[in-house]
Amino acid sequence: MKVRGWLAAGLLGPVLALTAGLYVVPLGVYLVNGFHRFKDGRILPVWTLDTYVAFLTDPFSYKIVSTSLLLAGIVTVLALLVGYPLAYALHTRVRSARVRAVLAVVLFCPLMISVVVRTYGWLILLANQGLVNTTLLRLGLIDEPVRLLFNMQGVVISLTHIMLPFAIFPIYSVLGKLDASLKEAARDLGAGPWATFWRVTLPLTLPGVASGGVICFTLVLSAFVTPQLLGGGRVQVLPLTVYNSTVEINWPEGAVTSVTLLALSILSVWVVNRMLQHLPGVRL
Amino acid sequence: MTLGALGGQGPPGALGTRGADLDVRAITKRFGTVVAVEAVSFTVRAGEFFSLLGPSGCGKTTTLRAIGGFETVDEGDVLIGGRPMGRLPPNRRETNMVFQRLALFPHYSVFDNVAFGLRMRRLPASEVGRRIAEALARVELGDLGARRIGELSGGQQQRVALARALVNEPRVLLLDEPLSALDLKLRIQLQEELKRLQRSLGTTFIYVTHDQGEALAMSDRIGVMAGGRLEQVGTPLEIYERPATRFVAGFIGDANLMEAVVEGVDGETLVARVGDARVRARRQGWEHVGAGLTICVRPERVRIVRPGGQAHVLVGRVEDRAFSGSLVKYRLAVPGLRLHAAVPYVHGTPLFEVGDAVAVAWDGDQAVTVPA
Repeated sequence: MKVRGWLAAGLLGPVLALTAGLYVVPLGVYLVNGFHRFKDGRILPVWTLDTYVAFLTDPFSYKIVSTSLLLAGIVTVLALLVGYPLAYALHTRVRSARVRAVLAVVLFCPLMISVVVRTYGWLILLANQGLVNTTLLRLGLIDEPVRLLFNMQGVVISLTHIMLPFAIFPIYSVLGKLDASLKEAARDLGAGPWATFWRVTLPLTLPGVASGGVICFTLVLSAFVTPQLLGGGRVQVLPLTVYNSTVEINWPEGAVTSVTLLALSILSVWVVNRMLQHLPGVRL
Repeated sequence: MTLGALGGQGPPGALGTRGADLDVRAITKRFGTVVAVEAVSFTVRAGEFFSLLGPSGCGKTTTLRAIGGFETVDEGDVLIGGRPMGRLPPNRRETNMVFQRLALFPHYSVFDNVAFGLRMRRLPASEVGRRIAEALARVELGDLGARRIGELSGGQQQRVALARALVNEPRVLLLDEPLSALDLKLRIQLQEELKRLQRSLGTTFIYVTHDQGEALAMSDRIGVMAGGRLEQVGTPLEIYERPATRFVAGFIGDANLMEAVVEGVDGETLVARVGDARVRARRQGWEHVGAGLTICVRPERVRIVRPGGQAHVLVGRVEDRAFSGSLVKYRLAVPGLRLHAAVPYVHGTPLFEVGDAVAVAWDGDQAVTVPA
């Protein structure tokens, strides 16, 4: 059924109105601040590029941006490395549809719990007297607790866990659409299980890997709670700067960092899309 | 046509056979409680074109997949060139498969698709290049090596699939309804090409199809399957002329099948009662007086005449007529039966009209008996 004209407008209207009224307009209003000046705790309504210039010439800005990109990159790679085998096992090893459904719910479970709660969970696990360190000490693998909290490691571990479902499901869904006879054809032509995986399964599931990667990357780039609670001030990323600036009523600086964050997200999506277009045999 | 001529379709005209014998020994395959293939045995000579023919779900594809190593059999074994295959995976068997849905790698070019098997065997690049050029030329795709799979037509994709399998010089080539997705004209053209290719290579072909015309036209021998069992193995002529079971008689070609009781035997022919009438059929030897059996007459063997006192005829009425140029097809209602006749159209002879009373007859050696 095709919907046109007034009917289409009527159906889309509420969503468009909500998006415009509650998202686009406020965001626009906020971003306009980027062209104002912040001085002595007040926002002066003058039009200037000073805030942008200040941000772009401050070496500390680049430190924040690179930390953000590094964190997003590491977590994305880890989530894909852990997620792909999981998705593959779910696809190939689990035959029963019911077991599959149960496992899918189990994998999705973490998403039903607030990020704050999960992060506090990791706080308990990763502390010096936490489960991870106590276990390692008891096993004699380490002599003194490893610092896993209030640094990059803790943030990476926790975010990787949080991102796993977003990495697994796109890969799992592409695996499900893969023509099973392609794998058989590879076996038939003399490829063992590994060669079949590297030459057929993996290349043909790269679109799933890419979309999982983009989702993880952009979500980590804009993650706030975990770096805030587990980073202990040592993991300075863009969302924290946006938050701090906004709290200090330095809206111009908050706006500029927000624009930077948005630009990086859009850029990463664009880059991955371009890469996918050049991937052989990929139909999106 | 004499009976002796039936077995006369000798071995295939292979030049320098390099295919292998195939020996399928009592294989059984179950999926859960469903028996897909039940105690199927047959042997195929090296260089032979052998078809497995049957309706969907008859177990023919499962049998093929068991030969290729894609299914592990529950009982029995498959021997290729005398070697038991056991549980060897497909990559360690000297077979190659042309898949029903072709299964060409969409992320590779035509060249890379065909190269896959050779590269797996780590052949030097020069050798790979030479053999691919040869294989592509053989299937008339010489200059399309650089194309992507998605840029090819259905017939071209079909040829790539064939080249990809044949370039490895398998000793047995397995084909799973490879032409079923193509339109009729292309299908017939590729049938001829396949047959020619098979003869010139001498590779053993195992060809799975549900299309009896295809099987009859291409095969040296055919194995007809139904319900997981092998019903009959024979040359196309044997299967058409001497169907071993009622199923084979009905599945291969058009057939009029009649329940009958033997009333008398006389040398090479017998007389049997069909309803109230008596008809003749060729005798095979196992029939005895009083036995119930099925008589099979092909529509083109049926003669229609004006009724009037003849012996060994069925009397009925023309129910429907279809003129198709060279043939006139009649549907005839005989008490308790419906018969089909295909009569050559001769210019100037009047046709029977719907409703005409007619007598249906055939020569005694033109009908065949099948166990009931």
